[in-house]
Amino acid sequence: MFDFFKGFGVTFSTMFKKVVTEEYPEDFPPAAPRYHGRHQLNRHPDGLEKCVGCELCAWACPADAIFVEGGDNTEEARFSPGERYGADYQINYLRCIGCGLCIEACPTRSLTMTNFYELADDNRQDLIYTKEQLLAPLLPGMEQPPHPMRLGKDEQDYYVQGPVLARQGVESDPVGEQVR
Amino acid sequence: MSDILTPVLTSRWAQENSWTLETYERTGGYRAMRTALAGHPDQLIQLCKDSGLRGRGGAGFPTGMKWSFIPQGGEGAGAKPKYLVINADEGEPGTCKDIPTMMADPHSLIEGCIITSYAIRANFCAIYVRGEALHPIRRLRAAVAEAYAQGYLGTDILGTGFDLEIVVHAGAGAYICGEETALLDSLEGRRGQPRLKPPFPATAGLYASPTVVNNVETIASVPYIVAGGAEWFRTMGSEKSPGPKIYSVSGHVERPGQYEAPMGITLRTLLELAGGMKDGIPLKFWTPGGSSTPMFTAEHLDVPLDFEGAAGAGSMLGTTAVQVFNETVSVPWAVMKWTEFYKHESCGKCTPCREGTYWLVQILERMVHGEGTESDVETLLDVCDNILGRSFCALGDGATSPITSGIKYFRQEFLDLIAEQPAVARPEQLADVELTGAPA
Amino acid sequence: MTTTETETVTLTIDGIEVTAPKGEILIRTCERLGIIVPRFCDHPLLEPAGACRQCLVEVEMGGRPMPKPQASCTMTVADGMVVKTQHTSPVADKAQQGVMELLLINHPLDCPICDKGGECPLQNQAMSTGRTDSRFVETKRTFPKPLPISSQVLLDRERCVLCQRCTRFSDEIAGDPFIDLLERGANQQIGTAEDKPFQSYFSGNTIQICPVGALTSAAYRFRSRPFDLKSTPSVCEHCSSGCASRTDTRRGQVMRKLAGNDPEVNEEWLCDKGRFAFRYLGAKQRITRPLLRDESGQLVEVSWTEALRVAAEGLLAARGNRGIGVLAGGRLTREDAYAYAKFARVAAGTHDVDFRARPHSAEELAFLQTQLTPTVTFAAVEAAPSVLTVGMDLEEESGILFLRVRKAVRKHGQRVFTLGQWSTPGVEKTHATLIKSVPGAEASVLRELSVGGELVDALSATGSVILVGDRAAEVPGLHSAVAELATRTGAQVAWVPRRAGDRGALEVGAVPTLLPGGRPVTDAAARAEVERAWGVTLSAEPGRSTDEILAAAASGALSGLVVGGVDPHDLADPAAALAGLANVGFLVSLEIMTSAVTELADVVLPVAPDAHRAGTYVNWEGRHRPFAPSLDGGGVLPDCRVLDTLAVEMDVDLFTQTPSAAAGDLDRLGPYTGTFTAPTERPGSTPRPAQVGSAVLATWRQLLDDGALQVDEPALAGTARAPRVRANAATAERLGLTEGGQASVATDRGAITLPVELADLPDGVVWLPAHSPGSQVRSTLGVGHGALVRVTAG
Repeated sequence: MFDFFKGFGVTFSTMFKKVVTEEYPEDFPPAAPRYHGRHQLNRHPDGLEKCVGCELCAWACPADAIFVEGGDNTEEARFSPGERYGADYQINYLRCIGCGLCIEACPTRSLTMTNFYELADDNRQDLIYTKEQLLAPLLPGMEQPPHPMRLGKDEQDYYVQGPVLARQGVESDPVGEQVR
Repeated sequence: MSDILTPVLTSRWAQENSWTLETYERTGGYRAMRTALAGHPDQLIQLCKDSGLRGRGGAGFPTGMKWSFIPQGGEGAGAKPKYLVINADEGEPGTCKDIPTMMADPHSLIEGCIITSYAIRANFCAIYVRGEALHPIRRLRAAVAEAYAQGYLGTDILGTGFDLEIVVHAGAGAYICGEETALLDSLEGRRGQPRLKPPFPATAGLYASPTVVNNVETIASVPYIVAGGAEWFRTMGSEKSPGPKIYSVSGHVERPGQYEAPMGITLRTLLELAGGMKDGIPLKFWTPGGSSTPMFTAEHLDVPLDFEGAAGAGSMLGTTAVQVFNETVSVPWAVMKWTEFYKHESCGKCTPCREGTYWLVQILERMVHGEGTESDVETLLDVCDNILGRSFCALGDGATSPITSGIKYFRQEFLDLIAEQPAVARPEQLADVELTGAPA
Repeated sequence: MTTTETETVTLTIDGIEVTAPKGEILIRTCERLGIIVPRFCDHPLLEPAGACRQCLVEVEMGGRPMPKPQASCTMTVADGMVVKTQHTSPVADKAQQGVMELLLINHPLDCPICDKGGECPLQNQAMSTGRTDSRFVETKRTFPKPLPISSQVLLDRERCVLCQRCTRFSDEIAGDPFIDLLERGANQQIGTAEDKPFQSYFSGNTIQICPVGALTSAAYRFRSRPFDLKSTPSVCEHCSSGCASRTDTRRGQVMRKLAGNDPEVNEEWLCDKGRFAFRYLGAKQRITRPLLRDESGQLVEVSWTEALRVAAEGLLAARGNRGIGVLAGGRLTREDAYAYAKFARVAAGTHDVDFRARPHSAEELAFLQTQLTPTVTFAAVEAAPSVLTVGMDLEEESGILFLRVRKAVRKHGQRVFTLGQWSTPGVEKTHATLIKSVPGAEASVLRELSVGGELVDALSATGSVILVGDRAAEVPGLHSAVAELATRTGAQVAWVPRRAGDRGALEVGAVPTLLPGGRPVTDAAARAEVERAWGVTLSAEPGRSTDEILAAAASGALSGLVVGGVDPHDLADPAAALAGLANVGFLVSLEIMTSAVTELADVVLPVAPDAHRAGTYVNWEGRHRPFAPSLDGGGVLPDCRVLDTLAVEMDVDLFTQTPSAAAGDLDRLGPYTGTFTAPTERPGSTPRPAQVGSAVLATWRQLLDDGALQVDEPALAGTARAPRVRANAATAERLGLTEGGQASVATDRGAITLPVELADLPDGVVWLPAHSPGSQVRSTLGVGHGALVRVTAG
C-alpha cells in the first residue's frame, strides 16, 4: 500500500526538479569543446587553404576513411601557400570512428575537428564529405582561392607575420577554428 | 743574431734583379742541373732520400721516398708518362713563402723542376700557381721563357737527350686546389675537388699517370742539395727534420717577414729576429704553421719548430706560417674569422666540412655578437668532433683546429661571450681604445 | 700472384668472420652479412665517391686501428681487417649520428609535401641514425624551388644532400653530363648549364636513385604517396630489351613506373620511354568496348556477343571466298602471338600470318630462321671485346643495350663499330668507330670491309658480337653480308628488333614460313608434329608476308583480314597498306587504341594493354620475361582470349582462353630440332643522287617521338631530341641549305620541312627522324631509308 505512494512520490517530486533530458532535436546543445565531431579544413587568414595535401591524415587513419590527392600550386592558380595543395579531399563518415588520429597527424593544423555531431543520413553517398563541404567558411578578410599569397612579401613573412598582418587589415580576428 | 739565419733558398732574394737568369747563373745557378743531368736518375732519388728532405707543403712527407714511389720500367703503370706537378697554390692563411720564392728567385724552382723531372723520368712539369698571385705568375712565366731560350728546357736539354716541358698554370682561386688531388683535377680542367685515394697520385695522378706533386719550397731546395750534398743539408736542422726552412712571421711583431732558419728554431728566437712584439704588447697566441694548425700560446715559446717538435706540443708544423697575435686580439673573434675562411673555401664535396663549417660560422658569429648560449661551447666542440677525421680531406680537419685549440687554451674567453660581452667592439668602445681585430 | 675469380680475403665485421671476394667494397660485405650501414652517395652500379661520409665505420688493419673512422663505401676489403660498424663501435655510431645531424641542418622540413616522403632514404636513416632533436637554431640555406632542369625532372636544391648520385649516373652510365655541381661549400648545388637542360634519355633514373626528394618527376608530382600505391613487378613493353620494371597503381590508374632490379637484363636502369610513357592507358584514343560498323558506316558500340558473332560470320564468309590474312603486329606477348599464329592456321586455314609491322624482306625471314636459338645475352655483349651494330642506332632503338655497351666501353675498353650514316650521340657516347655508308649501300660497304682490316681483326677476337637491328631488312643484301662477316670472323650474331613482341612472335610461328618452335612450313615432319597437336591439316606452301598480304587484299586476292595492332604508317608503303585495308572485303581489328585501321575496320575488338594482361615477352636475348597484370578488370581481354572466343564462334578451338592456357598449349609443341639453311646471298644496289637538288635519304626513329604509346606525355615529349634535317656541310652547300635554316625534303607524295643541322653524313645524304613531330617519313614521303629525295632550302 505504501509502496504505491512511494512510487508516485518519486514521480511527483521529480516534477519539481531540473530536467536533465536534452530536448534534441528541437534544442541543439553544444557538445564539449574538445568533442571529436565533424572535421574542418582550416584556412590561412587570407583565405588560402592550410591543407598541403600531404595525406598524413589518410596515413594515420585506422579506418581508412580519408582520401586525399595532392595538387601542384601554380603561379596562376594558388590554393595554398607553398608548392602543394590538397586537390581532392574526402572523408567517409560511414567509416570515420572519430578517433582524432588524423588531426594529430596534420602537420599544418589544417585538419581539426569541430564539435558538430549531426553525422547521420539516409544514404551512403551523402556521408562521403568532399573538400568543399569540409573547408572552413570564408570569414571577413578572406578571399576564395585560387589567389596569390596576400600576407607579406614572401613565404617567411606569410608564415611568421601572417596573423599579425591579417589583423592589421581586418577589424575582426579571422584566426581560429570555427566551433558551431 | 743574424748567424742563426741560414739563407739558402733566400740567399739571392736581396740581389738586384734577382729573378733574372743572368743573376741566377752569376750566383751559381743551373750548375746543380748540369751535375744532376750527368748522373743517373736513381742517384738523384737516393741523394734526396739521404738528405732527409721532407715536403715543405705541410705534411712533411719524405720527398725522396715520394719520388721512389713512381713506378719505373716499361710495363704497367711504369710505361705511362710521368708527370711532375708543383703545388704553388699557396693559400693557407698566414703562409707566404712560395710566392716570394717565385717572385725573387723563380729560377731556383725551375732548376729544381728540371732535376726532379729528370730523377722521376718526367718530361712534363706543370706549376700550378694560385690565380690571385698574378705578379709571381708573370715572373715565373718570364723565367720559364728565359730557361727555354737558354736551352735549359725543351727538347734535348744541354745535349743530354732529356726533354722537359714546363707549363705555368694559373688556378682560379680556390683554397681546396692546394690539396694535391683537387689540384690535379683542376689542372685537368675539372672541378677542383679532392679525389678518392687510393689510387694515390704516385700511381694514378695527372691524367691517371704516375705523378709527383711537390711544394715550391721543396723543389726549390733540390738544386742546393744536389750542389751541396746530403751531408751539407743535414748540417742544418734536426735528425728527422733536416735542412733550412722559410718561416713566414706575420702579425704583431716589429719586423714581420721571411726568416730562413734551420728547422727546429723556436718562436722565442724568431721573435728576437723579428724585433720582438709590436709596441711591446705581450704575446697572446700564435700559430706555428697557418690557421689549420692548432694554435699555441706564450707557454709554447720554446717549442722547437720542426715536424716532431710541433707535433709533440699538440700542433703541426704546417707551412711554418707563424702568425703572432698580441693581447688585444679576441680569440673567439679570430677563430670566427678563420672559420669564415674555411666556410668560404670548403669545396662542398663531403658533408662534414660543407655543413659543419656552415654551422660553426653561424654559432661563432652569434657568440661573438653576444648572443651565445651556455651550450654553445659544447656544441662547437661536438660539431668539431664530428668534422675532425670524418671529412674527405684535410680541409675539414684544419677548419676545426682553431676552434678546438682556441677553446682548449681560452675557454673562459668563449664562456665570457655568453655573459653579454660581445667580442666585436661597439662604436662607443672604439672611441677610446684601439682594438685590433675590430671590423672596419 | 695470379688473380682468379675465386680469390678471397677473410675479415671480421662486428665480430663475425666473413670471407669476401678480393676487391669487394666493404659496405657490400656488410650488406651480405645483413649489417646495413647507412649511406647516401654509395650506389652499387656507380663508382665510389665517398662524399656523404654517412657510412663511416671503425677499421683495424693488421692489428692496428686506423686513426679515423673510414668510409665503408670506398674501402675495399683486405685480409685480417677488423671492422666495427655502428652496432659495435661507439665511435662509428657517433660519427654516423654526427654526419646525419650535419646533413639535416640545411635540409628543409618538406617531408609532408615531398614526393619522396615515405620512401626516402634520408627520412628512414634519419630515424635510424639521427638525433630526435636538432641543435641547429641558426638560419638554413635556401634556394628558389622547384627548378625544372628538364621538362620532366624538377630539382629542389634545398633538399639535396649533394651525394652526386645523379651527376655520377649522368656522367658514367648515361654519358649525358648535363647536370653537374656548381658553386662550392654550403652553396654547392646541382645545376645545368644555361640554355642546356638535362636532355637525357635516361634522366628518369636520377629521380629513382636520388636518396632524397631533390629530384622529382614532373609527371608524378604530388600524385600519390607510397602507401597509396599497389606495386606490381612488370616488364617494359616499349622495346625488345624486356626491362624489369615496377608498376605502381592507385585506384585503377598507373601512377608511375620504376626500374626493377635485374642484373642480367637492365641492371637497375630504365630509359625514359619505359619509365614515363604509360598514359596511353587512359588516353582518349583507347578502345574499351567492341565496335561494329553499322549500315550508315559509323562505328557503334555493341556487345561482345554481337561483335564476335558478326566478326565470325564475316570471317567465315571470307574464308569461304578467297581466304583470310592475319597481321599480328609487333607488340604481342608470346602467348598472344601464339594465338594469332594458331588462329591463322586453324581458324583461317592459312599460313598468311606475319608479325612484321615494318619494312621487311624475304631475305630477313631467311635470316630470322638462323636466329631462332639466340646465344647472345646482355652479359655476353658486356663481355665482348668488340661489337658491331648493323641497322640500328643503339641509343635511339635499344636504350638499355646502349647502356650495357657503354658500360663495357668504360670498364674494359670494348671496341664498338657502328654501320650507319652519322655520328649520332649514341655513336659518340660509345666511342664507336663509325662505318659510314650511303643509305642502301650498307651491304656492299660491309662486304668490302669483310675482306680484312681493322673491323675483321677486332671482330675476330673471341666473344665478339654483331648486333643486327630490324632496320637491316630495309637494305637489300645486308643480312647476307652480316652472315658472311660472322662466318669470316667467328663473331656471334644477335637480332635486336625494336619492338617488344617481335622475337616472341617469331618463336611462336606468327610468320608465313614458320610454325611454332621455328618449324619450317616446308618441313613435312615438322608440319606433321603441329598437325598432330592441333588436329588440322596444314598446307606445305609457305604463306605471304605482311606486304604481300596487303597487296593481295588490295587486289582482291584476299577476302578478309584480321589485324592486331598494326599501324599502316609503319609499313614500307603506307598508301599501299591503306589501300589493302580499304579494299579487303571484311576487316577485323584487335587493338587498344584507335588507329588508321580502326577507321577502315568492320569490327573492332578491344584488347588489353600490358597493365591489364598477363603474358610473357621474349626479349632480344630470347629470355622469357613473364609478367602479371598490374590492374584488375578494365573490361578488356588479352588478344589470346579474344581470338579464342572468336575462333569458337567460327566453330574452332584454339585452347588459348588465358595466357597460361596458351603457353601450355605452345609448350606442349616444344622446339624444332631440325636445321636451317643459311640465307641466300642477294647483293645490294647502291642508289646515287641522280641530279642536282636530290639526295639519298637516311632515316630511323628516335627513342622519343610520335609513337602511339607515347601519347599524353607532354613532360616526356619535352626531352625528345628536336627533329632536324641533317646533312654534311658540302651537301648542305650543294643543296643550298644553311645550318639553322629550313630545308624541305620531298618526294612526289609530299614534303617534310625541318630546320637544318650539319652532321658528318656521307656526301649526298640527308637524314630525317622517321616518326617525330613534323617528320613522318613513311606516311608523308611514301619512301624510307635509301630512297632518293628532293631537297630544297626553305
